[in-house]
Amino acid sequence: MNTTIVALSTARGRSAIAVVRMSGDKAIDIAKKFFSPFPDKPNYLKVGTLKTPRFDEHAMCVFFAAPHSYTGENTVEFHCHGGSAVCQAVIEQCIANGAVPAQNGEFSKRAFINGKQNLTNAEGIIEMIDAETASAAKAGANLLENKLGKKVVEMQNVLLDLISSCEAALDYPEEDLELPTVETVGNRLINLADKLSVLISTAALGKVAKYGIDVAIVGKPNVGKSSLLNALLGADRAIVSSIQGTTRDTLTESVNYRDIKFNFVDTAGIRDTNDVIEQEGVKRAQKAADTADVVLHVTDDPTDRSVYPTIRPQIRIYNKCDLYDSSPCCTDSIIVSAKSGDVEIIKSALYEMFSAGEIENSDLLITNERHLSCLKTAKRQLAEAAQSCKSATLDIVTSSLRQAWETLGEITGSAAREDIIDRIYSKFCLGK
Amino acid sequence: MKNFDIIVIGAGHAGCEAALAAARLGCSTLLLATNLDTVAFLACNPSIGGTAKGQIVKEIDALGGEMAINADKSLLQMRMLNRGKGPAVYSPRAQVDKNVYHVCMKQTIENTPNLYLRQGEAVKIDVTPKGEFTVTTAVDLQYVCKAVVLCCGVYLSSKTIVGQCVKDSGPNGFANAQYLSQSLKDLGFTVRRFKTGTPARVRMKSIDLSKTVEQHGEEDVLPFSYLTDSIPATKRSCYLTYSTQKTKEIILENKHFAPIYNGSINGVGPRYCPSIEDKIVRFADKERHQIFLEPEAEDTCEFYVQGASSSMPAAIQEQIYHSIEGLENVEIMRDAYAIEYDCIDATELTAALMSKKIPGMFFAGQINGTSGYEEAGGQGIVAGINAERFVRGKEPFILRRDNSYIGVLIDDITTKETNEPYRMMTSRAEYRLVLRQDNADLRLTEIGRQIGLVTDERYARYTEKKAEIEKAEKDLKKVVSPKIYGDLFTQNGEVVTKAGLTVDEMLRRPNINAKDLQSLGFFTDISDEALYEIEVECKYRGYIQKEKEAIAQADKLESKPLPDDIDYTSIEGLRIEARQKLNKIRPQNLGQAGRISGVSPADVQILIVYLAQRGLK
Repeated sequence: MNTTIVALSTARGRSAIAVVRMSGDKAIDIAKKFFSPFPDKPNYLKVGTLKTPRFDEHAMCVFFAAPHSYTGENTVEFHCHGGSAVCQAVIEQCIANGAVPAQNGEFSKRAFINGKQNLTNAEGIIEMIDAETASAAKAGANLLENKLGKKVVEMQNVLLDLISSCEAALDYPEEDLELPTVETVGNRLINLADKLSVLISTAALGKVAKYGIDVAIVGKPNVGKSSLLNALLGADRAIVSSIQGTTRDTLTESVNYRDIKFNFVDTAGIRDTNDVIEQEGVKRAQKAADTADVVLHVTDDPTDRSVYPTIRPQIRIYNKCDLYDSSPCCTDSIIVSAKSGDVEIIKSALYEMFSAGEIENSDLLITNERHLSCLKTAKRQLAEAAQSCKSATLDIVTSSLRQAWETLGEITGSAAREDIIDRIYSKFCLGK
Repeated sequence: MKNFDIIVIGAGHAGCEAALAAARLGCSTLLLATNLDTVAFLACNPSIGGTAKGQIVKEIDALGGEMAINADKSLLQMRMLNRGKGPAVYSPRAQVDKNVYHVCMKQTIENTPNLYLRQGEAVKIDVTPKGEFTVTTAVDLQYVCKAVVLCCGVYLSSKTIVGQCVKDSGPNGFANAQYLSQSLKDLGFTVRRFKTGTPARVRMKSIDLSKTVEQHGEEDVLPFSYLTDSIPATKRSCYLTYSTQKTKEIILENKHFAPIYNGSINGVGPRYCPSIEDKIVRFADKERHQIFLEPEAEDTCEFYVQGASSSMPAAIQEQIYHSIEGLENVEIMRDAYAIEYDCIDATELTAALMSKKIPGMFFAGQINGTSGYEEAGGQGIVAGINAERFVRGKEPFILRRDNSYIGVLIDDITTKETNEPYRMMTSRAEYRLVLRQDNADLRLTEIGRQIGLVTDERYARYTEKKAEIEKAEKDLKKVVSPKIYGDLFTQNGEVVTKAGLTVDEMLRRPNINAKDLQSLGFFTDISDEALYEIEVECKYRGYIQKEKEAIAQADKLESKPLPDDIDYTSIEGLRIEARQKLNKIRPQNLGQAGRISGVSPADVQILIVYLAQRGLK
């Protein structure tokens, strides 16, 4: 049984379609959990629905049964719409169901290990790994300097202390050492797990810092969504007219605000229409809303209290306030006039909403998917260790601790067995 | 000049196993020892087994070796260490009679066909143009062989040290081997200097036993060997006592006399085997240190003072021992001493323990930089088997990290450069829940049978146990109604469910053991050993499964060989350190490459791609 890996196989960034690939013994089982109808035979592309907690993606899926795949393992590919939010969600869904993020070059590595000799572009792969090695080395050095490295090393150290005490107890049963009991180990684990949780919780903010905030602008036709986009961008980007249905496709533009990137998506006005193209636009608008971090629900009617149908958080925007007789009565809405161009208030509200101000003050944010995955795995392993403290013997507890320690080592790049033995002898007076 | 298939140099714990294995496999074998009174001599503890070491003894046994049988024959008492800490680390440990141990092993060797035991100090090894070896002894006799196994222990150019008194000597006053080290250097081997030590032997009658705690053996422990039926009742006790504040003062006052602190010892000593002076200096805040008094043999009143090895001058040693509780008037019979010796760098060997440079030369035991009888014995049997296979042109026999502690040991010493004597520990094994002392036979008997060392009797016992286990496994699937198990569960504090349970589910309950289920009519006609297997495999199934998954994962790299002719310096992308290490150690597969210190996961990836490219050309 091997681990199942997942990664985006097409280039990052916006594109028409993107391919997310998963390889490993459990790839098919994992895919079946959220893609239906799942293809009933290999090598055939099948259209279906890919469910994620946030939205349902209309996508295509194909699987290749081992050994008839690039890696020689069971492999599943999802062909979905391009765009980072969609791909991110699909990958997250795979991870949530048991896959792990692939290391660089890991698909090719597996292909080789499994005896698939079709590595025709080996030179290219070497270059890629090379580049990765160089940057990894640099990143590794940076990591050691930076706060994540230090924090993880700190936690590894605490674990190493615990492990070496346990190992000394196991390897030197006849010494009169002050040895850990499963209870004392359990208590220290809770403390560590808390620290890990704090780190993991910074990932949300980390994502904001790294990718910015995706904001969908939705609402009925002619409420001024495109004018609002232009105002937010401070540029005439979207075509504005009084004709309903001017905006047909979604349009994404980014703007920086106090070091944060806002990715605004202008969408077609939502209405019933017989125009096929406009229908598609409306569908895309819905999709943009469902994949966004936050939705700006725009209206020009001060009495409008409707809620936009999405599970994503939303803010109601009363536009064209210069035309209102009386102010709309509301607390959690924003009143602007896009035409006047003064829409700072929206940006600052979004900024507040995502606590983006904390980015500057926080000393550490998790921004890397692999780091996050390691931290989450380590946390689960610590929980298992804590659990085993209640029922299992010290040999089992120690194994779980080692696993957590090795997982953290994947972040810092070091977890050598010798470290444990060195620690045992530096800590305890042992031997005949 | 006489011809043999194989010559084994040194008749310690490695040499005896190597020679017996080679001879039993049908090779005419010469076993040379500097002194026949040193055959299987227990130069340090009168004890066999312990954590990780007990497992090794059982592995040697399962493969068809001698150490376990010999230890069972000479048992004084036996205990199972780590009870309560889990089956992965249960470790049998025995006190043995060192005289009986020596005599029994010597007799076994004398009675083995094809095996010639001969006193003689090997002084020189020459490689003949045919690739054979000529071994010359100190009395200028020459022997020719196709493979030679060096098991020289701590005898190579060794020096014993007691304070200022430094002698060219082997352990216990036995003569050392003065010339062979130079011959190895001439053949191109790297020679290093290691150090170890042993405590004094004292007269039992002069010990005040009332100040100590007596330690009996345990009766409910299985013997080391799967061929031995049971262990005898405890013949001799051990005694536990402690060093005192006075011990500390004496050592600190006389620290400048200690050879390890005044610079007269050059060898690197093991951290796990510190002298009493080392313990006191390095762990100054520790109030007292444990001292175990262990019987050397039944026919002597000499006791071994475990925990108090020393290289202090003899007069100061006496003061130190007198400061230990119960030893106030102790009479020292033999002084403690440190010993320095030459050994080779085992990274120059393959996993078959053969020199990479000179095919046909094998090395086992302390000459490889390890310590311990069991570590030596484990290497000995592997080297002996491989010498036979080399002579007959068979594939090498390699034990693996996932099937034995011996495999872990050999992989470690041939892969990682160690700068102190290597001692086996359970923490060195990544799969210790799979490598248990109780299942060594299940792991290795079949392998030993294929090699040809497992006798019909041993094989029959193994197949019988396996059949019992298979039969009992069928019981695990049976469903039992609460009416039947209700009482048992209530008595043992387990919650009774309304539905029926399988025997497997019942056995997984923490308070239910396999014996309890026998009372319900399951697992009948089964030995205790087989029953124990069922219990451990059932209760720990989830954890064992995890280890097996990890093994399967690692196996993908282990099964990718690295060809012998790779020039690592020319592989682009490898870091300089990795190139140097890989070129020096020349790992046999990708898994081993990844365990070399200084070779990173990224380097391994580069190797993977390099191999793929090679395959395409």
